Amino acid sequence: MSATATDTAELGLTPEAPASRPRSFIPTRNQLLGLAGLAVISLLPVPFGDFGFFVGQYAAVYAMIALSIVILTGYGGLISVMQYSFAGVGAIITGVAMASWGWPFWIALPLAALATVPVAAVVGMIAVRLKGFYLAIATLTFANALGETLFRWERVTGGQSGWLVERPAIGSLSFASDVPFYLLCLGVVLLLVWMMDGLRTSRIGRAMLAVKDNELEAQALGINVFKTKLAAFVISGIVAGIGGSFLAVLLTSVTPTAFQSPFSEFTSIVLLSLVVIGGINRAIGAFFGAITLVVTQQVFAGAECFYSFVAVYSAAVLILFVLFRPGGLVEVGQRLGALVRWKPVVGIAVILVVLGINIGGSFFFVNAC
Amino acid sequence: MALLRTRDVSKKFGGVTALNEVDITVADKEIVGLLGPNGAGKTTLFNVISGFLKADNGRILFEENEIQHLLPYERVAIGIGRTFQHVKLFRDLTVYDNLLVAQHRHLSSGSFAAMLRLPGWRRDEKDARDRVEAILDQVNLRPWAEARPGELSYGTTRFLELACVLSLQPKVLLLDEPASGIQQKEVEALGPMLKRIRDENNCAILLIEHDMSLLLNTAERIYALDFGKVIAEGTPDEVTHNDQVLESYLGRTRRDSVA
Repeated sequence: MSATATDTAELGLTPEAPASRPRSFIPTRNQLLGLAGLAVISLLPVPFGDFGFFVGQYAAVYAMIALSIVILTGYGGLISVMQYSFAGVGAIITGVAMASWGWPFWIALPLAALATVPVAAVVGMIAVRLKGFYLAIATLTFANALGETLFRWERVTGGQSGWLVERPAIGSLSFASDVPFYLLCLGVVLLLVWMMDGLRTSRIGRAMLAVKDNELEAQALGINVFKTKLAAFVISGIVAGIGGSFLAVLLTSVTPTAFQSPFSEFTSIVLLSLVVIGGINRAIGAFFGAITLVVTQQVFAGAECFYSFVAVYSAAVLILFVLFRPGGLVEVGQRLGALVRWKPVVGIAVILVVLGINIGGSFFFVNAC
Repeated sequence: MALLRTRDVSKKFGGVTALNEVDITVADKEIVGLLGPNGAGKTTLFNVISGFLKADNGRILFEENEIQHLLPYERVAIGIGRTFQHVKLFRDLTVYDNLLVAQHRHLSSGSFAAMLRLPGWRRDEKDARDRVEAILDQVNLRPWAEARPGELSYGTTRFLELACVLSLQPKVLLLDEPASGIQQKEVEALGPMLKRIRDENNCAILLIEHDMSLLLNTAERIYALDFGKVIAEGTPDEVTHNDQVLESYLGRTRRDSVA
């Protein structure tokens, strides 16, 4: 190979080279900034008191389910509109194990996660042979099939009333109230985000990105496309199952209607679009997407007219993101961060203007309604 | 010893015969050229050898083992590497990450090790990055490390593709028109470069090339194909003096007179 060095030099390829962008493996300052940002986001519920934590725990749990979309669609390029059904499997199993068998949550949780594996594997084995549009349609029918069978099966779902479950505890430390439960869910989702971020820079994670980008080239470089796609389905299924399990104890009840057709398909699609806003390419994007979801759903749901405005605004934001910032809020955050580092005054001014437009606009419409 | 052999390989697309009982042999560390007009079946033969297409019948032998049932990634694992006529690469990944993906088959740590940053994953990642760093210097791609393939000149993407395939440490390298789309000055340097790639990687090369001087100066043996059939085989000199080859490809063509 060393001979090729001289050859490329002889070929006159070097002079046109753009300026090298240095590659650093210890971006401590950026990581610190990221951690600071994460801390701020984690403390967001504090000024809103009980209501803040109540909403915050929803955000954390939805982030787990949304994270499954990042793995499957963001990493693997596989479009699924049945991720909420995987969460449903996790929730139902948690319900059966806790309410019917009397298991503690900490044993029901891994069972719920594992229970999604066979479902994800079966769906995956069929789905990996399909692409894009056809895959999306197939997962839609799978969601419908699960919604009309498993989630209507009374012995599994506990019938119309579902299962009643209690929030977990570790010894005398109870997660029953909203503040500790929020912290628990936040800890779990950040752990999962960290894990999935690690997956991204690994043999299998890069194989997923490669398969998403160009299947033929991936094969030519020795990647097993079938196995890679199946891994994406199974890992994302497990993550969704964990999310479903936490959803069960968050609501303290598992009601099968939530996972029946068409609600499960609807929720899956809403989650998919919000992950796109959050940033589908990175694990943390699921977290941003889930915050966006609960803020729009929970905070503004009461005000009818304002909710209409939020719906139109969300649609506009989604379209703008897809067109100009396909990396979602993650990409916007990265660009703003770079701007602040480059020109702090301009950067902070831009951030304040963006926040001002959003918050000011909200107040304007709330009053106008 | 024959490294790669095809025996009676045939392939039809609809009613068109793309390959008609093709027998070719590539020996260890040999550079073999494929010559033929457009539609002669050269790329189809590449696809059949690399597993992207299934032959209708016939056998493919690699190191005396039948491999026609193997999938493309399995053929990479035993030592068959290929490039494409139109450079593919990963358009959304940086040059660095393209090279990192090409390290796939040399890595072994699982997904759980990566999620928990276990030592096995750390070792794997460090090895892979060290190798990519070395390649970046060897092929002078370092200035473009963080660029995406779309930002490079076509010639440079060809070198990147070659670097990716060489990362697989193939025993035989299938190159589909490596000179197409690059400048004449660069083409002239390509011949010696291919020979050096062969010498340093100890691999055989099977070469499809329309640039006649490159093909004739680089290949040690040439198969001429027409209408999916091998019409001549021999040294560059023998093949270029073969009447059938002259007629079908080099000289006053049969097709011209018919048209």
